[in-house]
Amino acid sequence: MMARVTGLRLSLALAASIFALGAAVAQEPKKGGTVHVVVQPEPPMLMQGLNQNGPTNMVAGNIYESLLRYNEKLEPQPSLAKSWEISPDAKVYTFKLQEGVKWHDGKPFTADDVVFTLDKFLRDVHPRWRPIVNAQVEKIEKVDDLTVKITLKQPFGPMVMTQEVASAPMIPKHIYDGTDYRANPANNTPIGTGPFKLKEWKKGSYIHLVKNEDYWLKGKPNLDEIYWQIIPDAAARAVAYETGKVDVLTGGSVDVYDVARLSKLPNTCMTTKGWEMFAPHAWLTPNVRNGILGNKQFRQGLMYAIDREFGKDVVWGGLGKLPTGPISSKTKFYSDDVPKYTYDPAKAKELIKASGYKGETIRLLNLPYGETWSRWSESIKQNLEDVGVKVQIENTDVPGWTQKASNWDFDLNFNFLYQLGDPAMGVARSYISSNIAKGNPFANVGGYSNPEVDKLFADAAIAPTDKERQELYTKVQKVLADELPVLWLLEMDFPTIYRCNVKNLVTTGVGVNDGFRDAWKE
Amino acid sequence: MNLAQFLAGRLVKGVLVLFAIAVLNFLLIRAAPGDPAQVLAGEAGAADAQLLEQLRARFGLDQPFLTQLWIYLKGYLTFDLGFSYRQQQPVLNLIMERLPATLLLTGAAFLVSLVVGTAMGALAARRAGKWSDSIITTLALAFYATPLFWIALMSQIVFALKLGLVPNVGYETIGANYTGLARALDIAHHLILPALTLGLFFTALYARMMRASMLEVAGADFVKTARAKGVSQPRVWRRHVARNAILPVVTLAGLQAGQLVGGAVLTETVFAWPGIGRLMFDALVQRDYSVLLGVFFISSAMVVGFNIITDLVYRIADPRIEASA
Amino acid sequence: MNFLKRFARNRGAVIGILILLTVIAFAILAPTLYPQSPWRPVARPFLAPFVNERFPLGTDTLGRNLAAGLVHGARVSLMIGIVSTLVALVIGVPLGAVAGYAGGFVDDALMRFTEFFQTIPSFALAIVLVAILQPQLGSIVLAIGVVSWPPVARLVRGEVLSLKTREYVQAAVTIGQSTPRIIFSQVLPNTIAPIIVMGSLMIGSAILLESSLSFLGLGDPNLMSWGYMVGAGRTRLLDAWWISFFPGFAIFLTVLALNLAGEGLNDALNPRLARGRE
Repeated sequence: MMARVTGLRLSLALAASIFALGAAVAQEPKKGGTVHVVVQPEPPMLMQGLNQNGPTNMVAGNIYESLLRYNEKLEPQPSLAKSWEISPDAKVYTFKLQEGVKWHDGKPFTADDVVFTLDKFLRDVHPRWRPIVNAQVEKIEKVDDLTVKITLKQPFGPMVMTQEVASAPMIPKHIYDGTDYRANPANNTPIGTGPFKLKEWKKGSYIHLVKNEDYWLKGKPNLDEIYWQIIPDAAARAVAYETGKVDVLTGGSVDVYDVARLSKLPNTCMTTKGWEMFAPHAWLTPNVRNGILGNKQFRQGLMYAIDREFGKDVVWGGLGKLPTGPISSKTKFYSDDVPKYTYDPAKAKELIKASGYKGETIRLLNLPYGETWSRWSESIKQNLEDVGVKVQIENTDVPGWTQKASNWDFDLNFNFLYQLGDPAMGVARSYISSNIAKGNPFANVGGYSNPEVDKLFADAAIAPTDKERQELYTKVQKVLADELPVLWLLEMDFPTIYRCNVKNLVTTGVGVNDGFRDAWKE
Repeated sequence: MNLAQFLAGRLVKGVLVLFAIAVLNFLLIRAAPGDPAQVLAGEAGAADAQLLEQLRARFGLDQPFLTQLWIYLKGYLTFDLGFSYRQQQPVLNLIMERLPATLLLTGAAFLVSLVVGTAMGALAARRAGKWSDSIITTLALAFYATPLFWIALMSQIVFALKLGLVPNVGYETIGANYTGLARALDIAHHLILPALTLGLFFTALYARMMRASMLEVAGADFVKTARAKGVSQPRVWRRHVARNAILPVVTLAGLQAGQLVGGAVLTETVFAWPGIGRLMFDALVQRDYSVLLGVFFISSAMVVGFNIITDLVYRIADPRIEASA
Repeated sequence: MNFLKRFARNRGAVIGILILLTVIAFAILAPTLYPQSPWRPVARPFLAPFVNERFPLGTDTLGRNLAAGLVHGARVSLMIGIVSTLVALVIGVPLGAVAGYAGGFVDDALMRFTEFFQTIPSFALAIVLVAILQPQLGSIVLAIGVVSWPPVARLVRGEVLSLKTREYVQAAVTIGQSTPRIIFSQVLPNTIAPIIVMGSLMIGSAILLESSLSFLGLGDPNLMSWGYMVGAGRTRLLDAWWISFFPGFAIFLTVLALNLAGEGLNDALNPRLARGRE
């Protein structure tokens, strides 16, 4: 969805020219210019290999690059890899690298860097790459300076989806090899191959990126400078946009209600694109270890009791879509052939009564990510109390939430997880019993365990063809939608608000994380 | 007791208080749920046991608790405030980078509120019972009674958005690269809203205090004597009343000057002012222990410092005061 | 009665008391006026005030009745103000009394302890305490109490210091009354007036402090306090001003009233300092 809303003050002619920009790609990009972007909260560091926080990715995705990029349909595109080949048995991936790529310090980028990054650096420090490389990869070798070969232990369909910049950023071997990665002083001065370089980071104020003059893709980037501004309060961020201090409000940086208001301002565009790879899926996790929550009827009762439409339309200002099951409709292998739940308090009461619920208080752990989540907790508490379930909301700060969620100290817990382009990477982790482990809020924290589901997910990950994978995933979606290990609430949309004269801002499936390579300013 | 002895005594006491505060802070903060490794991992949306272990070792959290306390205290004895692994910087650097902004903001707010507050309070007392007194007292009360963050947001909407007079957030125009005088003016322009907002509350406080203090002194015997001797009214107010009434206000101000440093969290949040109040809050919600402890320590040290200075000024200004209290 | 007369002559104080009584009345009558939970969405969100008489102050972001929130909020905010002030008094009064009465080493130690709490920036300390204990009613009240007691201790100590030299206290010592008895029956009753004055002002600051904590996301999500309402509506100041204006105004009025009443009390109790007379 690409909303282009023009204000009354805009002249007709200008309005016409904006509509003409529907095909902005056709227009010749202009060189130069500075863009001010909001980043919230301030990233802890910009060394993307060591840290993959949301804000880190937004900034560092322009400093670092990976072998592949992904378009909005999540099809792989060349980036540092010029081309790639998959052997007929689907076990050998050969990547040809771009020529003439240089690190920001002038050293050449070669196959050695790729092997170091994937085989050593990320295997050691990256929590998403580590399980993949350990379980699926036989070996990673350099063929020549511009060719790398990855041999798998067995076919692994999602392999081609793993080379996104936050999941596998290329790290300079000459700086990190043989050092203590996390203590390397270079972590403060990130060196990548990307279109922008870090010029200055004034903590608490801004991060200043400047154009990489030696960028391998000739003619790119178009912009000279990007300032990432740090403004802690959401209301103040909205005012900062209105007064012209910033040009781009990244997803989630303003209150949902401000999205509608700001979108109506002159020269303001809004898009929810650029999150296809992540497809954030929001839900409530019942802790199935805790008494009545282990009862399927009770969980189904909760699902009928929650007015999910209200959550979407009122709490989230109409953004997003109601999910039907564990896989987002934006992710591959989605199926809507599942049992469905509507808002039906009467049915909810029936199921809850039949489940043997005796009025025990259910603790609802609020996700401390701002006002909208609090409103959501409040409205769901009200929904549940309407059908006779006692609810106590627990509030805490981010560390408190992380600890409680990781250590299973909750009855119902809000969470939203990225799907990462393939159910094997972003979906299975929340439902399989081998991922029931304390210490990680994104594991299977509810404790749901079902051997049938475990097997379906395991088989689907390594099934040789997409057709076979689809069959298995369709089956697992059906089972899960009946059992409700979690209560899916919303396929979230994160709107990016920006001045319409910033063009080509969101062009890939990872949105503003890597979009400034192609962006330009009119 | 001479001045040097007095000063030495106060310094020793101050250091002891600070030491106790350092220990208490450590225990307090470590009682909070959550740890920095888990927070970092949680924010990244992915974690496994190995990552958490690596991070904990980095943060020094794999050491026994008492060892951690000992390392921390040992560092402080040598003015080493530790290292923030989250931000990959020594804590002292992080604080020093932020301190000037806070000092500028709170200093400006403090001066404005002290000057305006005492002047208004004095005026109100002089006109006690008249309409100008009512206006000042009412205004002072109104500012005192309105939530600070609400005033801050309203002022952004009115003065920055609607009237376009001043920038709504930030410390300076980012990307403008001003230097010298232009930069100073730019910063001053950004300073207006936050400093006034923060200052309003204290202006109200000082005005009320000054007024009360003036009225109390006005009833004292030496003032009556002066009047009886035929000293002119304005002179009595100026030389006898105001001069004596300002003492308790200064005491309060001295106490508050130190508190201001840590007390600007809200203002810094709403105005995106890159000071240590915000640094502290961020460190808290990230459990960046070393930074949090560092900020607490520095702001406590400033309170101690300001208290000593206030006492010193008192002692010099008025030798009768026994500075033991 | 002299005291009542003096108090009644102070117009501000009378107004303050009247406002307070109104607020208290609303707080008591809340369940009668609006028996439904104030959290329940009852109408379209963002209904403007003064339009629909069922929702005289309009509705908030979720369509909840602001008027209901306001009167229920009066209960919560007043309770937080009063209880946290009591916590501060419970810590501060005995500490100040003992310090002032005992003098010497005990006084010195207790005052160091007090100073210690005044040295840590108080708002920051409150934030940390609430974060540690997790945001819920008990921890918020406790945190506010813990950061507000030092001035009480200092005040009581000062009063006790001057009271203990009075004849009647000396007489009690001479006839051999026990120290606790002297403190509780002779000294403390005479410090009650200034404590009440200070307490009334502290209730106001506590309500303000709670609203600031709420703003930073450290409020109790199960209680609709005014501070919560202001914080929750703050991002809508531009197009739905009423959501945060009315609760903000309620805080303002209540704190104002507490201060007016407190000052009135002070003046009535200390005729020497009466305002407006030279």
